[in-house]
Amino acid sequence: MRPISSQFLVLKTTALFILWVMLSGRFDLFHLGLGVSLSFLVAWINSGHSPFVPRFQIWGKILLYFPWLFTRIVQSSLHLTKLILHPRLPIQPRLIRYESTLQEPPAVVLLGNSITLTPGTITAEVNGQLLLVHAMDEVSGQDVTSRRLESKIADIFGEKAPSP
Amino acid sequence: MEFVSIVFILAGLFFLIVAAIGVIRLPDVFSRSHAVSLTDSLGAFLMLVGIAFHEGLSKNVLKIIAVLALLYIQNPVIAHATVRAALRAGLKPWQRETS
Repeated sequence: MRPISSQFLVLKTTALFILWVMLSGRFDLFHLGLGVSLSFLVAWINSGHSPFVPRFQIWGKILLYFPWLFTRIVQSSLHLTKLILHPRLPIQPRLIRYESTLQEPPAVVLLGNSITLTPGTITAEVNGQLLLVHAMDEVSGQDVTSRRLESKIADIFGEKAPSP
Repeated sequence: MEFVSIVFILAGLFFLIVAAIGVIRLPDVFSRSHAVSLTDSLGAFLMLVGIAFHEGLSKNVLKIIAVLALLYIQNPVIAHATVRAALRAGLKPWQRETS
C-alpha cells in the first residue's frame, strides 16, 4: 500500500463534502455529520490507489485551457453537424498514428481526453506516448496533426513544446 | 429570461436531433461514436444552460453545473472505451473506396 498523502486526503474529503452538501441541501447536524464521515471514508478508501499528486501551480493554467478547448469543441461540433447533414455525407474517416512528446502520464491523459472530447476525433488506443486517433475527415484531425493541442498541454505542464 | 431559456433548449434539441441522424446515417461504429459525442458536448450543454436560465439563481444551478462537469469528465471516457473495444475486437474502420 502506498503512503497516504494527508494533504490530498483532506482535499478529497473537502471536495466530496461540498458535493454532498450541494446534493442534499440539508444543514442539520445529523446530515452534515453523516456527510463528513462518509466523505472521509470514501476519500480514505481511495487514497491508496492514486499516484496523482495535486500541483496547484498548474491549476490556474488548466482553468485558462478549458475555455480555449470549449471554443474548439463548438467549432468542430459545427463542422461535424455540417458533415452529417450534408446530402452526400462527405466524410473521410481515417486512423492517425500520433507520437506524443509529452513525458508525464497526466499530460498524456489530458491530451487523450481533449482529443476525445472534441467531436470529430476520438482517441482509440493509448500506449505510453503513442496515440491512435480516429478522425472523421482531414479538417477534424487538424488540431491533432498540427500539434497545436499538444503544444498547449505541454505549456500547462511546463514541458518543452513539440516541434511541428 | 424565459425566452433565452427556450432559445437555448431549442438549440440543444437541434444538436441532439443531428446526433440521432448521424447515428443512423454514418457507416460504422467509429464514425457513429463521433455523432454520439456530439450529443454530450453541445446538445446536453445547451439544454442544461437553458434549464439553468429557466431556474434562475438558485441552488439548482449549482447542481446543473455539477452535472455538466461530470458529463464532460465521463463523456470522453465512455467514447474512448467504446472505440478501443471495437478496435481490439478487430473491427476495421470504414473507408471511402474512391480515395
